[in-house]
Amino acid sequence: MKLMHTKLPDFKKKVQEAGKKLRPETEVELKGLENMESAKLASLRVGRIEEEIIEITQDPNVAKVEVTVLPQIPETIHCVVIKGVQKDGTSKKTILESMFITTPAPECYYHDSEVVEDRRVSYD
Amino acid sequence: MATLKYKLIPKGAAEGRVPINLIFIDKKDVIAAGLTYREACETIAKNFKEPGAIDIIDMDSITVSSDGIVVDYAVVAFASIDYGMINKDFGYLGVSEQPYSEKLLEEEPHMKQWDAIDDYKGKRLFRGPNFDDRWPRVPHNETQTITGRIANNNTGSEMMNVIDMTEILVPAYGALEIMRDGEVLIGVAGPEISVGIGMVVFETYGRIFNRSYGAGKTAHNSGEYAKTVKSDYPAIAGRKSTLAEYTLRALEIGLVPGKDIGCSPAVLAIAKAFGSPIAYDSIEERAWVELSSVGITKEWLQAPSEKLTREQIIERADEIVPGIADGKLFKVSDICKVCEAEIAK
Repeated sequence: MKLMHTKLPDFKKKVQEAGKKLRPETEVELKGLENMESAKLASLRVGRIEEEIIEITQDPNVAKVEVTVLPQIPETIHCVVIKGVQKDGTSKKTILESMFITTPAPECYYHDSEVVEDRRVSYD
Repeated sequence: MATLKYKLIPKGAAEGRVPINLIFIDKKDVIAAGLTYREACETIAKNFKEPGAIDIIDMDSITVSSDGIVVDYAVVAFASIDYGMINKDFGYLGVSEQPYSEKLLEEEPHMKQWDAIDDYKGKRLFRGPNFDDRWPRVPHNETQTITGRIANNNTGSEMMNVIDMTEILVPAYGALEIMRDGEVLIGVAGPEISVGIGMVVFETYGRIFNRSYGAGKTAHNSGEYAKTVKSDYPAIAGRKSTLAEYTLRALEIGLVPGKDIGCSPAVLAIAKAFGSPIAYDSIEERAWVELSSVGITKEWLQAPSEKLTREQIIERADEIVPGIADGKLFKVSDICKVCEAEIAK
């Protein structure tokens, strides 16, 4: 099945707009994508997240929305590109390596919430 | 109110040497409480709001140390807890039993201990989780549970806090002593244990690896750097005399380091003292580089030395078995609290 994908800058914009839709003064913080310069995001999930941000802001006491993007598997394998760059900007050699990283799991970000609704893709 | 008994080695125990809350539950207490292993971990999580690692241990079963020595206890489930929770998908792992089979004994020479040593015969074997246990982890994932700040790795033997980035090792004999209320040697793992952890054996669903490497090989495969991998981390080890006793059992039935069992510095040092054969030619060059970096050379092992009896080796284990820097013996009862968690109806 081929589905549409959203540009990363568009996603960042949509997150901000969704957070401020009901009350423009709402602070919106997007974390976890800082080191990505370009990416395509599954559009159906982008739409769900926009709706969920609006749902969170329906509580009139919400002054800030924190949107944190984490790997769903907290231990991830990464490709490390080790590249030598010459003074003139060209490169003669790159080494590719693997790095396994265990990062804080989502409980660290939501442990103080009274209600948690899990709408993630299920492994069951 | 029904309760579940557990042992807690709290963060800061052993004069500050323990950086993470470590919880050990006897399988018998889980069964007596009428809980599943997962429910037992959830019960502790709900009662104990702090970050911690949980091992559920069956004292009537057997497991295998990383260097291939059978030990009569087994981790049958393990978990990470934090903020009163267990991560739904990655916070808990059960370990399935590995049934006895002639094929397993043929493929894995170190498992001759299961048949040949009366204390192990007929006991159930648990090592690491199988593929079904591990789901939804994928092959590259470690045998690890993660909730919040805590990761409990290598089937409940290596616990980490990924926020303050502390870590502690609980090798097999340490867990055994904790459950037996014996004595534990707590110190810094040091270069010999760091090298030794890599001297693994070939096992299906091992506590760390699945069908990777074999006796005489190094899983670290990192030359002189191998001695640094875990050398600065604290470890709760068993008494060296305990390690020596279990290793001697394997040597006494004719298992050969480097061929049948792993060639860790501890195993090789005991084999030398006991005058046991060592499969020098089966130990690959990369392993010798790592062993030599901590002073275990072919020349040292082959140099004439006094042959000691089983009793002499156990008595002099502290001088024979290398590993653990700045270690101090603690009675488990002095560092461990016995607690009870209320079981929710």
